[in-house]
Amino acid sequence: MKIALVSSAMPFVDGGYKFIIEWLDSVLREQGHQVEKIYHPSLEDPETLFDEMLAFRLLDLSDATDRVVTFRPPAHVVPHPNKVVWFIHHFRVWYDLWGTKYCTIPETPYWRAFRARLIRADRNALLEAQKVFTNSRTVSRRLREFNDIDSEPLYPPVHAPERFRSDEYGNEILCVCRFSNHKRQRLLVEAMHHTRTPVRLRLCGAYTPYVTELEAAAQGLDPLKVAIEARWISEEEKIERLAPALAVAYFPTDEDSYGYPTLEGAHARKGAIVASDGGGVTEFVRDGIEGFVLDPDPRAIADAFDRLWGDRRLAARLGEAAQVRVTELGIDWPSVVGKLLS
Amino acid sequence: MKVLVVNNMAPFVWGGAEELAHHLVKHLHAAGEQADVLRIPFRWNPAERLLDEMLLCKNSRLTNVDLVIGLKFPAYLIPHPNKILWLVHQYRQAYDLWDAGQSNIPDTTRGQEIRAAIKAADNACFSSCNRLFTIHTTTAERLRRYNGFESEVLMPPLNDPELFAGGEPGSYVVAGGRINSAKRQHLVVEAMRYVKSDIRLIVAGPPDTPEDAERLRRMVAENDLESRVTLDLRFLERSELASLVNQALAVAYLPFDEDYIGYVTIEAAHAAKPVITALDAGGVLDLVKDGDTGHVVPPEPEQLANAIEALAASPPTAVEMGLRAKEAWLARGVTWPQTVERLLS
Repeated sequence: MKIALVSSAMPFVDGGYKFIIEWLDSVLREQGHQVEKIYHPSLEDPETLFDEMLAFRLLDLSDATDRVVTFRPPAHVVPHPNKVVWFIHHFRVWYDLWGTKYCTIPETPYWRAFRARLIRADRNALLEAQKVFTNSRTVSRRLREFNDIDSEPLYPPVHAPERFRSDEYGNEILCVCRFSNHKRQRLLVEAMHHTRTPVRLRLCGAYTPYVTELEAAAQGLDPLKVAIEARWISEEEKIERLAPALAVAYFPTDEDSYGYPTLEGAHARKGAIVASDGGGVTEFVRDGIEGFVLDPDPRAIADAFDRLWGDRRLAARLGEAAQVRVTELGIDWPSVVGKLLS
Repeated sequence: MKVLVVNNMAPFVWGGAEELAHHLVKHLHAAGEQADVLRIPFRWNPAERLLDEMLLCKNSRLTNVDLVIGLKFPAYLIPHPNKILWLVHQYRQAYDLWDAGQSNIPDTTRGQEIRAAIKAADNACFSSCNRLFTIHTTTAERLRRYNGFESEVLMPPLNDPELFAGGEPGSYVVAGGRINSAKRQHLVVEAMRYVKSDIRLIVAGPPDTPEDAERLRRMVAENDLESRVTLDLRFLERSELASLVNQALAVAYLPFDEDYIGYVTIEAAHAAKPVITALDAGGVLDLVKDGDTGHVVPPEPEQLANAIEALAASPPTAVEMGLRAKEAWLARGVTWPQTVERLLS
C-alpha cells in the first residue's frame, strides 16, 4: 500500500509526535508498504491559523497515495478519500484551555467567532475521515465534548520495546522526563524528606531552569538519596537505569496520554507511581495493580516509596502487571498498524 | 544558523533534485549549520491545479528558520524574509516549453491567465530574494529571457567524489550516462567495428526506452561485436558505476549539444580518465580539450575509432591526459564546501 503520513511540524524542533511518525514509518516499511512522510510547517499563530489550514487543505495527495494518516493539527484537514486521523491533540488554547489562565487569546467577540469557526472547521475535517483515533481517552473526550466527534483511543507504542529489561528491584525510584513545573518533579524530591527507608530517587532529563528549584528542594538531604542528572540521556543509558530500578515515578498533572515514562517502565517490568490528577496516566496505571495512584502529596509519595523498598515482591508484582497491561491495551505496533490500515 | 532547503515532492519519486537537496543539507551540516529539507507535494495536472499549488505555498508559514534556500517552483514561493534561490528549474511549461508547444497549460484565455499568474508569482518571489543562483547557464538564460532577472551560475558539485578515486588504466573504454539517441552511445558501439586492437567497450547505463536498448543490441549482434562490447543496460549503483570508471582506460561521452559539462564528464575527470567526445557535444567541450584532456573528434565512427586506438596504443599518454582532466576540473573549485560557502556568502 502507498501510505502518506502527514503532520504539521515546526522546523528544527522534535516533539514526541515526530518519534511516533518515524517509528510508524519504519514499521510500515518493514511490512513492505511504501511510505512518504510529509511534515508541513505550522506556527499555530492565531493571525495566520486559517491561512495555514488553507495550505494543508490544498495538499492534493488523492492520486498519489492509497491512504493518508494524519497526526498533529491542522494536518487532519488534508482532503483524501481514504483518510485516517490519529489525533494527537487539539490546539488546546482554542479548546479546553479557552477561558483559563493558560489561554493567551483575548475573549473578544472577534476571537469568539474565530474560535467557533475553528471548531466547526475541525469537525468538518474530522467527519471526512474513515476513522478517527486519538492517543488517549482524554483527547477522545475532548473531541466528543467540543467537536461532537466519536473516536477510539489508540495508544502509541514505544520503539523496539524488546530493548528494555529488568535485572532486579533495587533501591532506586527512577523518573525520566523533561524537567518542568507541569511534570512536578519537585513533589518527588520533597517526598524524600519524609521517607524512612534507604530508598533513593533518580531524576533524569534535559536541563531546564526548573532544575535549580529542585536542587534547592533537595537541600538538607543526604546527597546519596537524590541524584539529579540534568542532561539528555541516551536510549542505552535509559535502559541501563531502568533495569535495576525499584519502580518508576511519573507525576505530571493533567497529562493527555499515559506518557512514555510509564510505558517504558512497564516494558522494563517496573510499576509506576503516578498522580490521581495525572489525566491520561491513570488510564494505564490503576492503584495497587500496575503501580500506585496517589494524591499530589509528598507524604503519600514517601509512604509509597518506603512500602516498595520494604517489599520487593510487591515491586515485582506491580512491574509484571504493568507489562501485562501493555498487551491488554494492545500497545504494540502490530495492533496499531492493523487498526490504522484496516 | 538554521537553513531550510525548500523543494518539491512528487510522492514516492526520488530523482536528481532530491539528491541535490539531500547532499546540500549534508554539506550544510558539514559546514556547521543546522539544516533540513522541507518537501512540499506538488501536483501540476490539470493546469488549474497550478493556482492551488501556488496558493498552498504562499499560505504556508515558517518560523524558527534563519535562511531559506529554494530549489524549485512552486516550493520557493513560501514566504520568508531571508530567502535565496538555487534554481533547478522554474515551471518550464509556462515558459520555454510553452513556446516549444510542449505544455500542459491549454492555449486558451484561461491558460493565458494561469501563465500570467505563474509569471507574476515568480517575479514577485525573485524580487524578494536576497540572491539568485541557477544550476547552469541555460537556466540563467531562461530566467533572464522570460523574467528579466540576472543570476549567478552555481554548478552542482559531484555528490560522491570519494567514489571516483581513479585507478590503473584498464583494457576497456566505458560509455555511461542515460542511454538514448541524443547521448549517442550508438556511435561508440559502431566505432568498435573499426577498432583493431584488443581494447573492449562497456556501455553502462539505463536506457530511456526499450527501443534505445534494442538499437544497441542489434548493432552488436549484426557486427559480431559480442566478444568486445559489453552492454550493461540498467541503472547501476553508484559504487558499481564508480568502479567501472576507476578501472577504465578512458570514458566516451558524446551527447549532442549538452547544456553543461555533464555528470559523466565530471565523474571521468575526477577519476583522472581522459574523455573521448565529439565536436558538437556542447558543454562537454568546456572541460575536454583535444589532445590535452581527451580527444575531440567529428561525430563519426571511424574518427572515434582512431581516438580509441590512440589511447589504447599508449596507456601512459591516457594517464597523463586523465591527470590533466582532473587538474582542470579541480581548478574550477566546484566542490560541496566551496558551493556551500558561496550560497551562504
